[in-house]
Amino acid sequence: MTSLALAQILLNGLALGAAYALIALGFVIVINAVGAVNFAQGELVMAGGFAAIAIAPLVGDAAGLPGLLLLPLVMLLMGGLGVGFAHLAYFPLRKRPRVAVFVSTIAIGLVLQHLANAVFGAAPRVGPPLIAGDGPVVGGLTLSLQQLGVLGSAALLVSATGLFLGRTQTGRRMRAVAQDPEMAAAIGIRPARMITLSFALAVALAGAAGLLLSNQFFVSPNDGGLFMLKAYIAVTIGGWGRLDGAVLGALLIGLFETLVAAFTSYLVAEALLYGVLLAMLAFRPSGLLPERARTRV
Amino acid sequence: MSDRRSLLLLVGGAALTVYAVAFAGSYGHDVLTRAGIYAIAAIGYQLVFGRLGALSLAQGCFFGLGAYAAALTALDLGFGFPFTVIAGTALPVLLAALIAIPVLRLASHYFALATLGIAQLTLLAAINWTEVTGGANGLFGIPQISIAGLQIGFGLPLTAFVWTCVAVSLWISHRLTAGRRSLAVETLRAAPSAAAALGIDGAAIRFRFFLASAGFGGFAGALQAHAVGVVSPDVLSFHILVLLLAMTVIGGRDSPLGAVLGALLLVHLPEWFRDFADYYLVAYGAALLGAIIFLPNGLAGLLPERRTPRSEAKLPAPHPRRDAALSVEHVTKHFGGVAALDDVSISVAPGEIVGLIGPNGSGKTTLVNLISGIEKPGSGRIHFGNEDLTGRSPERIARTGIVRTFQHPQIAPGLTLGDSLEAVGPCDTEALLARVGLGERAGDLAGSLPPAAQKRLEIARALATGASLLALDEPAAGMNDIERADLAQLLKALAAEGHAILLVDHAMDFLLPLADRVVCLSAGRIVAEGTPKEIVQDPRAIRAYFGESPL
Repeated sequence: MTSLALAQILLNGLALGAAYALIALGFVIVINAVGAVNFAQGELVMAGGFAAIAIAPLVGDAAGLPGLLLLPLVMLLMGGLGVGFAHLAYFPLRKRPRVAVFVSTIAIGLVLQHLANAVFGAAPRVGPPLIAGDGPVVGGLTLSLQQLGVLGSAALLVSATGLFLGRTQTGRRMRAVAQDPEMAAAIGIRPARMITLSFALAVALAGAAGLLLSNQFFVSPNDGGLFMLKAYIAVTIGGWGRLDGAVLGALLIGLFETLVAAFTSYLVAEALLYGVLLAMLAFRPSGLLPERARTRV
Repeated sequence: MSDRRSLLLLVGGAALTVYAVAFAGSYGHDVLTRAGIYAIAAIGYQLVFGRLGALSLAQGCFFGLGAYAAALTALDLGFGFPFTVIAGTALPVLLAALIAIPVLRLASHYFALATLGIAQLTLLAAINWTEVTGGANGLFGIPQISIAGLQIGFGLPLTAFVWTCVAVSLWISHRLTAGRRSLAVETLRAAPSAAAALGIDGAAIRFRFFLASAGFGGFAGALQAHAVGVVSPDVLSFHILVLLLAMTVIGGRDSPLGAVLGALLLVHLPEWFRDFADYYLVAYGAALLGAIIFLPNGLAGLLPERRTPRSEAKLPAPHPRRDAALSVEHVTKHFGGVAALDDVSISVAPGEIVGLIGPNGSGKTTLVNLISGIEKPGSGRIHFGNEDLTGRSPERIARTGIVRTFQHPQIAPGLTLGDSLEAVGPCDTEALLARVGLGERAGDLAGSLPPAAQKRLEIARALATGASLLALDEPAAGMNDIERADLAQLLKALAAEGHAILLVDHAMDFLLPLADRVVCLSAGRIVAEGTPKEIVQDPRAIRAYFGESPL
């Protein structure tokens, strides 16, 4: 295999991993906000893809950047869906064991999957390209504009999310609620509002990933399960509840999948990924990154 | 079981029989058979998801494995009926036993993921190991069930056979969870750390239930292989798991009959709502969501109350061992780089009340966690009498006679006060509840108590184990003055009977008059130790705990 082909594969893997990172980031934001696994995260990605397809005619081929123009619209729409999602999947069950929320998200995932099936049909549909046209050629390597677009948009969104949570007052409040809702409430933060916002952000990120993946990988109602699983594994690799870990885990999975699939087959890549996951859960459930010192004793 | 409930069940069973025999056509029989098969798998799922509260995502995998094992032994090895089903039951149980030890100790979110990973790997194997499994096409031509040369034909005979198996499964599940055992399991589900601290062997219960669930799943899958004659990777798909989950949630989390109701309903619904075609499945998801929100106990929760049989023997709580003193020697505990405890030694003799004080984060609760085995010390030893408890599991420590309570009460809110105590061991629950001032409320639900009363319930529960050393983590928090005075009385009386008591509390006016000795921790080290009188005058204790101003 030439180094050129390898570079191409790495670029593919990085773009895939970057889209996974958005999914995983949303997944981990919900974990931190309410301590529950969102099993519908994959269906929300799928919903984002279909949302993009549904509203694509609004934008048309505008300026050759249909997908990029759609991105904020899809995220806004999905953020709104996230508010509804919080009120269906979480708030009615907030006083019950967390597993009840796991089940409610499975139920909503099921509704979304079959709704998409009924409305759009089971056949895969192609989503709008981010940027129309062919990419530049650098040293014999054809850079696909689509992939560059995915990589760039994902990097932008991940950094923006990081800055939002880390540097803004609202972001800090969200993290305060995640750490200790009672204490946060005591200093005048309204936990319910911050939790709703976390869900909105998580679902918006899932929707963004749905749009980014919709052109190269198509959208089909039954894809959700795998996306959710990748996010789940990414968060396990990166350390439960860690934002940086989730992004790193997602990039690793994207690269791993693409590389292994290129040298063997997609089947081997998938099987190996689950094998690695199980080995990690057995031997190092705390994740790859070094553990942080516990602050509360 | 109450009479109304039994009557209702009898009527329901009779109605089902009449429908099956007199009204259901051959298609109706097929649907009933399918419902029965899923009911068996759901009865198994209920043990893990309903009883233990663990979201296993491998039940569909166990079901599918059972189907493949039965099909392969029938087709490739020429096994006859009982052996194919035995193989179909045994293979998933074997898999469950192999994965149980690493998987069952995982926290709930990782348990779900690990079981999902195993299910995905199995599905990949079924699709791609074509020479054995037939790949995506699967295996066909699996013979019908025949017993001693007598073939059980499709239609009513098969339906009757499957529902006989359902009845047997119900009976086995009942045996696994009947009586006092169900109380211990409920405590394990609702308050796992308390269960361990009370000596309930959670690991053994989880292991048994996980294997049993795999057995039921595999058995159902094997029946399915024979009933349908075809096995394809569909039997391993996530949909089967979601179906079983929905049956358990909609039918009822903790009632095996609920699983049967859920199976009957969910298998018949698509038949009744055929006209809705694609949207039926949307409604099915919505029904699952509605059930988890509005019917926490499922359809079975709508049936008349079921009463747990109470044990007849009213044993008084065993007397504490007067010979065993607790001695903690030079223990150290680090979290990350932070020393939570640094070279701490402490002892508590029978009949003695030792107060443990210190500012927040000084290591008081960590010390109680080490003594009760929830955390292991980095170095140092912990002895109780002649026994070395260092590194032992919480259950084993509890069974030597050391029982703790928790800063935030760990109770099973759905159990009555009497049942909460009964879960721990057969004892005179009323007398024990009366001792802690809850005598009138034996029939109330533990979850209906205010937090301060939950703490007293925890003490009664500890006494029900026959504990000789009580480690109480802030027992007086949230109590009013009268309640505190009652608690002080109780602790004095317990010490007079020979109980050793380690008392962690912030309220000095409560702790100082009670304690024989006081140990003051600060930043993980013992800074002062002595009688209450000495402590209030000790400048190090005052600095560490009382701040600059003395009492």
